[in-house]
Amino acid sequence: MATTTATITLASSDIADNSISISNTATLTKAGSTTGLDQTSGISMRTLASTSTVKLIDLDHYQGQTLTENKAAKVYIKNTGTSTAQCVKVGIQNGAGALEEIGWLYGGDWMFFPYSAVWTEALSANNQDIDVTPSSAASVTLEYMIIFE
Amino acid sequence: MATTTATLTLSSADLMTNNLSLSATTTLYDAGTTTGLTQYEMGKVTVPSSDTNSILIDSTAAGVDKASRVYVANKNTNETHYVIIAINDAVLGRLYSGDWMFIPWSQTDAAADIEIKCPAALSTTCDVEYAVFHQGKTFTGA
Repeated sequence: MATTTATITLASSDIADNSISISNTATLTKAGSTTGLDQTSGISMRTLASTSTVKLIDLDHYQGQTLTENKAAKVYIKNTGTSTAQCVKVGIQNGAGALEEIGWLYGGDWMFFPYSAVWTEALSANNQDIDVTPSSAASVTLEYMIIFE
Repeated sequence: MATTTATLTLSSADLMTNNLSLSATTTLYDAGTTTGLTQYEMGKVTVPSSDTNSILIDSTAAGVDKASRVYVANKNTNETHYVIIAINDAVLGRLYSGDWMFIPWSQTDAAADIEIKCPAALSTTCDVEYAVFHQGKTFTGA
């Protein structure tokens, strides 16, 4: 089995009178077990150059395989740019055919979250795809990865 | 202005043939600026066993289309325990014991709450730590 760890450190010395420092390490395991997640997309890169919404993670065409839904998959996405004015909006299909916006990644921003990856049927708008929408047509590159079982 | 950073380190020696060693650091700014976020709230709660979503972090008008960041960690230790995280009923995923998440949160409207559920089938409660860094929130009258 694989052992993969994800560590976050949130730190500020001046957001309040006292410094804050949050640090947490998760060992990424399969759902309900202590066995490590053992599959991954590897690190992928995708460059966007329009304000059109595109599917970053398309459950219909995920590298020819099916992600096991409602397990312990994790998704990492980073805006590799440096612009603090241009962002990429990240959303998830809500299971009822609509896109629910999660948040905006500006240059250098990253996100890491659990992913249920629910697939309903081929070409269905109800599939829990992850969509991204750049705020401008300037070129922006996203780095992303899925770790799953 | 404040300077707050969020750093991720992903590591594995055996997930792939080659080592996985990924590090990313970002500074938490107000939307579209280089001004650091200056407000935050953090806490620890015990989420009751229920099949109904509860609001963990309330979206408010002052936060709509801003650059909030949300951290949530499941502090239970039993590996079968999990909470389901959603935004406005759109499920993101299951956060198992020991897992954490960190996301940007644009609060598209006042219904875009960060929701949480500790499923009744688990017959347990779930201890959760959370923090939200934000640009402001709307206060309600007493």
